[in-house]
Amino acid sequence: MRFPQLAQDLHSRGQSGTSVQPAAGRAPEPNEEAQRQALQRLAAWCYQYSDQVCIPGDRSGLFVEAGASERLFGRTEHLGKRVEQELGQLGYLALAGSAPTPEAAWLAAPERMHIAGPSHVRRQMGPLPLNRLHLDAAQQAAMERMGFRQLRDLLRLPRKSLTRRFGPALPDYLDRILGIRPDPRAMYHPPEAFSSRLELLAEVHACQGLLFPLKRMLEELCGVLRGGDTAVQSLQIVLGHEDHQDTPLNLGLQSPSQDPDRLLAVLRERLERLRLPRAVREIRLEAPTLLRFNAGQHSLFRDTPAEQQQDIRQLTERLQARLGSGAVSGLTGVEDHRPEYSWRPRTLDERPACTALAHRPAWLLPNPKPCVIEDYRILAGPERIESGWWDGRDCRRDYFIVRDAQGSTLWAFREYKPRRGWYLHGIFA
Amino acid sequence: MNSINQLLNATPQLWKGRQASRGQRTLPTGHAHLDRQLPGKGWPRGAMTELMTHKPGMGEFSLLFPALADTGRQGQWVILVDPPWIPYPATLEGHGLLLERLLLVRTGGGKQSLWACEQALRSGRGGAVLAWPERISFSRLRRLQIAAESSSKLAFLFRPENAGRESSPAALRLKLGPGGRNGVRVDILKCRGSRPAEPVTIPHFFSAYGKQQCQTHFHATLTEHNIHTALAGSALSAAGTGPAQPRPKRH
Repeated sequence: MRFPQLAQDLHSRGQSGTSVQPAAGRAPEPNEEAQRQALQRLAAWCYQYSDQVCIPGDRSGLFVEAGASERLFGRTEHLGKRVEQELGQLGYLALAGSAPTPEAAWLAAPERMHIAGPSHVRRQMGPLPLNRLHLDAAQQAAMERMGFRQLRDLLRLPRKSLTRRFGPALPDYLDRILGIRPDPRAMYHPPEAFSSRLELLAEVHACQGLLFPLKRMLEELCGVLRGGDTAVQSLQIVLGHEDHQDTPLNLGLQSPSQDPDRLLAVLRERLERLRLPRAVREIRLEAPTLLRFNAGQHSLFRDTPAEQQQDIRQLTERLQARLGSGAVSGLTGVEDHRPEYSWRPRTLDERPACTALAHRPAWLLPNPKPCVIEDYRILAGPERIESGWWDGRDCRRDYFIVRDAQGSTLWAFREYKPRRGWYLHGIFA
Repeated sequence: MNSINQLLNATPQLWKGRQASRGQRTLPTGHAHLDRQLPGKGWPRGAMTELMTHKPGMGEFSLLFPALADTGRQGQWVILVDPPWIPYPATLEGHGLLLERLLLVRTGGGKQSLWACEQALRSGRGGAVLAWPERISFSRLRRLQIAAESSSKLAFLFRPENAGRESSPAALRLKLGPGGRNGVRVDILKCRGSRPAEPVTIPHFFSAYGKQQCQTHFHATLTEHNIHTALAGSALSAAGTGPAQPRPKRH
């Protein structure tokens, strides 16, 4: 897939490389960094159609493996049209073509050709003029001088002669077009977070005016989310002003989503209540954590242990996304006779282990609380607990079940070592 | 008529008089006396149950142990949202609760706690959620009730006794207090689908174990003298039962 005018596209989307607004009719200055970032985002977006996406690096385009997704999205012609159209809505001019090899597909894209099998490459690509090939200017000029006009002129020549005239790189390139030589490429991996920045062409004074650019940004985000089979539960949007502090907007959802309409609905609510201190010059959108998304959330049969496990994982992720990683834990026992050391939190991957002691209270106070035993009635006891001399936490206690005047049943102990006195340590709730 | 039925089916928060008679989904409480008094013969699933006490320590948490043990055995999760103290793992294990199916959520309280509670109620199907909200408005309660309905969970809210005076959308509201020496008195303030029944007294969980494990009992208020008697008696009774081997105490 090619983006022949990525710089212009970015510009028309409002994302010019320069901060000064260019005069009408002047071509936007190419900003390589902005284009590189745009390609990254587009690759993430394309991930929804194929798990094999490659950013070639030396050109403005992407390679997407489409053959494996044919059953899902139909023939490559259809997929190409669909991608072109959807990217058009996001504000990009995209040209899609397909062929059995990446290099041949690159040549097919501007013609919007779709070549089905390896045997067709030679025939259908033959008439292509040589200036379409991905070659440097010096090589192009040399071929021109020798009277080559079309790709088939080169393909007709014997390999030895090609190497003599143009060096080994050219036959190598032709072999990769034809698929005679393999062309392995580093695959793109979707990111763990999403961020995008949009510099507005004109200042926007009203919140409603922000909806359109934000809608495009959200649609792009959701394409990326579908690609990685991920979803967001929280979004940070920052509205940048000139000579004024930025306006932050944090969106939180009840459940993870990859639906642009739902995100936009929440955003619209927020924008309606928002008062802009100044005109907006730029919008930054960030999704710091992408969560795993389970599309089958509403299926009927969700009672198997595996599904329960998956549900609890999703819940954990969601809670941790908002409350921090320490907010969710399990519980396990620790081999120690002293009750306050006999437990600890566990991660969900860890297996719990614990001695069963049914006669102990339901709640344990984190720290024993001094008490006046005369205020309580003893119901049962004592139970002697004595341990800890080996780690310096030596103690000897007698535990009793006691009841206070209001009828609460509590767990109290009399300590002999290291301190002397009575303490409350648990509640029979 | 059809559209009315559609509307009724589409709004689960609407209370329907015939609901209870058509059979509520429930989970037995594990206390036969209590089951007999409840309309569905157990804890209602997909609905909220409020447990109100004047003070903690009335056996309000342990009342749920049999049902929570069942929940774990069915492979479902028990989620505690902001428990006020540390659930004692040895006790839970002793009553058959599966620690591997227990999840603790700590939010710091307030709105976050209610949010976490709603998230927990909405996630997956089945299982139980227990929460200890500080203060909660009627509209928040209703949100939780709807969330519980959406996933057919057991939802237990522990609330102070004076909450019983406010109205609530909960399906079942119980007040717990001391019932004699070893019992818990359960007053049924509200149960959806039937008239509140007579109060029930069930044994407090400590009573069954207290007698077996520790043979010394006190009826009178304690003085320094009879503590010593108790300690002397413990040397015999606690040998081999407690986790630590007690030594005879000398005076």
